[in-house]
Amino acid sequence: MSLGRFLLRRGVHGVFVVWGVVTVVFLLRFISPGDPVNFIAPLDASPELRRRIAEELGLNRPMYVQYAEYLAGLVRGDMGFSYLRGQEASAIVFARLPATIELAVAASVVAVVIAIPLGVISATRRHQPADYGATLFSLVGISTPNFWLGIMLILVAAVQLNLFPTSQRPVGFLEIFGHLVAVELAGPSVAVPLDVRAFAGTLGTWLWHITLPALTLGTYFTALITRLTRSGMLDELGKPYVDAARAKGLPETLVRYRHALRNTLIPVITVLGLQLGTLIGGAVITEAVFAWPGLGTLLIGSINVRDWPLIQASLIVIGVSFVLLNIAVDALYASLDPRVDYE
Amino acid sequence: MVSDRTKRNLKAELRESALAKLGVALVALVLVAAAFAPLLAPHDPTATDPGNASLPPLGFSTTENQTTSEMVDGEIQVVEQEVQVNATASHPLGTDSVGRDVLSRVLFGARTSLLVGIFGTALAVALGVVVGLTAGYYGGRVDDGLMRVADVMLAFPSLVLAIALIGLWGRQSIAIPDPFVRLGLAPGMPESAVIPGTVVVVVALVNWVWFARVARGEALSIRSAEYVTAARAIGASDRTIIREHVLPNSITPILVLATIQIAAIILLESALSFLGFSGANLSWGLDIAQGRDYLASSWWIATMPGIAIVISVVGINLIGDWLRDALDPGVDQGEGGV
Repeated sequence: MSLGRFLLRRGVHGVFVVWGVVTVVFLLRFISPGDPVNFIAPLDASPELRRRIAEELGLNRPMYVQYAEYLAGLVRGDMGFSYLRGQEASAIVFARLPATIELAVAASVVAVVIAIPLGVISATRRHQPADYGATLFSLVGISTPNFWLGIMLILVAAVQLNLFPTSQRPVGFLEIFGHLVAVELAGPSVAVPLDVRAFAGTLGTWLWHITLPALTLGTYFTALITRLTRSGMLDELGKPYVDAARAKGLPETLVRYRHALRNTLIPVITVLGLQLGTLIGGAVITEAVFAWPGLGTLLIGSINVRDWPLIQASLIVIGVSFVLLNIAVDALYASLDPRVDYE
Repeated sequence: MVSDRTKRNLKAELRESALAKLGVALVALVLVAAAFAPLLAPHDPTATDPGNASLPPLGFSTTENQTTSEMVDGEIQVVEQEVQVNATASHPLGTDSVGRDVLSRVLFGARTSLLVGIFGTALAVALGVVVGLTAGYYGGRVDDGLMRVADVMLAFPSLVLAIALIGLWGRQSIAIPDPFVRLGLAPGMPESAVIPGTVVVVVALVNWVWFARVARGEALSIRSAEYVTAARAIGASDRTIIREHVLPNSITPILVLATIQIAAIILLESALSFLGFSGANLSWGLDIAQGRDYLASSWWIATMPGIAIVISVVGINLIGDWLRDALDPGVDQGEGGV
């Protein structure tokens, strides 16, 4: 089957899953205790006022009508108005999305950059101190709750050593990008040099603030990938094709990196695909530790005040991103391993 | 149910692997702490003692700047002086901001973590195995329907779903009377262990799918085995076949998965407590959340319960590795960390 057809089939399946996600999110309000009106109306509201609030929000209509309208709204990109902020839920959610994406991407980069070399070193120096160190690190790394790790990093790196800030995200990646775009927009005829100092300043501020959150979220994955790379490399290095490559005189680095490591990456990607949920869930709690203004802190805050349109919008965006990411991982997996048929 | 060969494999692996031994030792430590918390704890974990608040752990005595106002010659003067804050043997791991004993809270916290881990996993296994075996054994539309439900469940990261469910469903908890206190062996200790009931239900609801997938896979592969056809030919009912043949064959992979899931659920429980979404009054996650506000002055409040979580989860993960290496079922392990 071709990649196109594979994506089409996964896409159709994805649409059904997304519909399921939307339905579950919609039903959540009906299976949760507490009338939404209680959270909006003043404590001494008259029954008349309460009735009018319910009518205004459409909460007094039959469930199937509300469901149909909710679906119709979603198709138009309308996720309703936040009860408490008087803004469109979709606008609020999409304003928060970049912060979460940045955090997840930064954590993944940290994980891959540290873990793959560490795993290779560990596998090629088996039973040496480096191997034991890496094994211990990966064992503890997958067993440490990330919120506690975050607090420990704050304790040591922020409170004691004063190296990093404890929270906040004053600039986002979009601002860094903005410096480059400004030059682009001015056009080639106008000689606007890139303001290097401002650019570096923004980049520095961004890096300074994202380091601890990225380490917090990335450690579990660093540990996991180290572990997988180590065991995968050991497997591959024991296979006959490696002996054959060595026998024909290929340099050891080429054998290790061109051949063994490449084949090791396939199962690593599979497991990472399965762990995407952990990445997103971990991002939610990391945000809570560092007051990171992403989807996670938005979701937790909205749950506490029962701002249903915001709860639903954040859950749907998280669910849909997760479905899309899974499809992307499957496609990547299939394109890396020629043995995989797009089935 | 467990064959002699399996037992031999387990023993051989345990003899050879130092890590497996370490895992057994760590889990034994946590089990003892949880079971005998009222006998081991030096203080009632819930008793506050403002006079002894924020005492450091043994070996970490500190000095603290204290400002006091005094009346000198009819005028108020603010005096700043260094005060020695001594650790005491009565509070080996120090006390928190209201003078509760950190060691006692860590010991009792083990109960909450293990009870949620074990009950939550048991409920997830029960749910997942019933759904998975039904889907795999009957196949067809039943299978399609149940697996679509599983797909939707898997479309939510488990922590996100758990946060949403528990945040919305409230914090009901169940109090179980403490036998030691009942028997008069541990005077002054809390009379009951509080299990956050909603947390147990929620962690099971977000984790059953992994068990369903494993059970379904096993049922699918066994369904067409010859001995099952033979059993059917002699008139065995579906229920008998599932109970006698399909279930026993699924036990090994489910056992390995369940071990790892206990660790995952302990992490999940601690995260939910940390966010303030649990009904437990004694929980490691809760103490970490409270200690967070005193990082600059009393680092031990948040540090100690975290170490306890790491010890438990490392221990359980090592046992999981041991079982997997000895039994080698090659399971899809599900989502792990928090």
